[in-house]
Amino acid sequence: MYLLEALITGVTMGSIYGLTALGLTLIFGVMKVINFAHGSFLMVAMFVTYWLIKLTGIDPYISLFVVVPVLFFLGFLTQRFLISPAFKGEKDVREPISVILLTSGLWIFLDAMALLLFGAFYRTVKTSHSGKTFVFGDGDLIINKTRLYGLIIALITSLILWFFLKKTRTGRAIRAVGQDRDAARLMGIDSDFIYDFTFGLGIALVGIAGVVLMPFYYVHPTVGVVFDIRAFIIVVLGGLGSIPGALIGGIIIGVVESVGAQFITATWTEGLIYLIFLLVLFFKPSGLFGYKQEW
Amino acid sequence: MENKGKRSPIRIVLPVLCILVLIVVPVIFRNPAFLQLMVLVLLYAYLTSSWNLVGGFAGVLPLGHTLFAGVGAYTSTLLFIELGLTPWIGMFVGALLAMVAGILIGLPTLKLRGAYFALSSIAFLEGMRVVTENTKVAFGVKINGPQGLLLPLKGNSLYYFQFDNKIWYYYIILIMTAIVLYITYKVSVSRLGYYLMAGGEDKEAAEALGVNVFRCKMIAMMMSTFLTAFGGTFYAQLVRYIYPRGIMNLEFAFEIAFIAIVGGRGTIAGPILGSFLLVPVAELTRIYLGGSYLGIHLAMYGLVLMLVMIFQPRGITEPLTKIYNNILDRFEGVRS
Repeated sequence: MYLLEALITGVTMGSIYGLTALGLTLIFGVMKVINFAHGSFLMVAMFVTYWLIKLTGIDPYISLFVVVPVLFFLGFLTQRFLISPAFKGEKDVREPISVILLTSGLWIFLDAMALLLFGAFYRTVKTSHSGKTFVFGDGDLIINKTRLYGLIIALITSLILWFFLKKTRTGRAIRAVGQDRDAARLMGIDSDFIYDFTFGLGIALVGIAGVVLMPFYYVHPTVGVVFDIRAFIIVVLGGLGSIPGALIGGIIIGVVESVGAQFITATWTEGLIYLIFLLVLFFKPSGLFGYKQEW
Repeated sequence: MENKGKRSPIRIVLPVLCILVLIVVPVIFRNPAFLQLMVLVLLYAYLTSSWNLVGGFAGVLPLGHTLFAGVGAYTSTLLFIELGLTPWIGMFVGALLAMVAGILIGLPTLKLRGAYFALSSIAFLEGMRVVTENTKVAFGVKINGPQGLLLPLKGNSLYYFQFDNKIWYYYIILIMTAIVLYITYKVSVSRLGYYLMAGGEDKEAAEALGVNVFRCKMIAMMMSTFLTAFGGTFYAQLVRYIYPRGIMNLEFAFEIAFIAIVGGRGTIAGPILGSFLLVPVAELTRIYLGGSYLGIHLAMYGLVLMLVMIFQPRGITEPLTKIYNNILDRFEGVRS
């Protein structure tokens, strides 16, 4: 039963990892840029949610309607005014290293600013959902409700994203730019706008993850690092640019973490994740669902 | 740069002046806090210059280089504690081990491109930190996990690399920095340096011309990791206390990369300029504002890096060199 519980914890937590990785993989798939500041945007989303709940007492899941648009515009503006100048500077370079540097600068800057503004406290927020559980049998199996909601929201979000990219006009434009931006531009697609939009969308996705985490997790200026490094690993594991890959990769990492903790010391499970990452990187760098490319 | 062939004596004025100032400065300004800051600046200059060999010239982006400093620090310290071996020999053992680690890590990762290499270097550093933090005793040797190791105090002793007066540390790190700069210079004008530049810029084109890019990157990696480990031992002797989160620290590794990049990757002066500009500002903000404004020095690093990436992606050395050359040309114009 412990194992089953650990498995469920792993799947629910993993789906939220997957949710954070979803934005990263989308941005990479279209722009071929790894956003190193991704975890920091998660931290920003969590702080926005935290203060929203704290100050207005709003239901955390209603706050989605505020947090997601805010994060979308944050991402949109970041791409338009910060990343795109550097990005255009090395349009034809195959390894856009200055964008990696720019986003890692943003990562350090955002984390340090949060530390400056909010201090190094671990903050949690008590909502009407916190601590509620589903109990099966005679308390044999206990599932945390907020984590389960997280899983459901992660699944719905992935489905909507998949549908959006496949079926809508904008979604098709995004995929076209991701495949060949020059050809897409010749077809009359405003690729600059698509980049801004995609980056905003990726950050909005991480906003959803932030809201989902807040009812049962803590927020801290460097909380992003925990998720950042996992999101990188998940994205490589699932295949850079692959949407189902991000979700499934997330669940794999979540399960390894929580089931692994049943057999070995919890501090070692972190090492286990890095091991998996390095193995994937060396033996199958295209990941589980990624298409083969020259990375 | 037309008169590059005939080097007029005026061109060596600035370098010689800098060296003289650096030699004399600790004798004139005896303030211990100032000396401490200068030692730190030079340590950063040393570490970023070592990083530059692979991060600057080889065109890859290592973001976990403190791993090798950690190997150096832990090796020399453990040899010191367990066998009483002098750190002067221990640092060479540590450097060799770091180089072996560099080869083992480089074999699979140097083939990876841009972001993948950067990510794997982070994973190696973090993985190694987790392993060290979880090891209390290995093969009968006390590693002490997260608590780390305290260096036994031996008093003022050249043999044990311990000095009461910080001035000795200053001159040691000054010499170390001079050596690494000399090596960097030699590499930059060697065939290896040109191959590295070519391979970093366009791997396929360089390979088509018969350059073994992977082998060149590996040599750069070996040199860089070897030298970085020396920096680790120096740090251990200076601070006399090492622990996994202190030395194998991701933020520390980022700082090294950032300073080199802001200064100018792949230039000889870049890491030095970067260290002399950024480290004092960071330290002073940390000392005077860090108490009430946590993390302000990191915010500054992040901001400076972003600004440089947007306005001067090749680093600050390039425009400064241009100005410097213009002034020199004018001088020479007047003279002739």
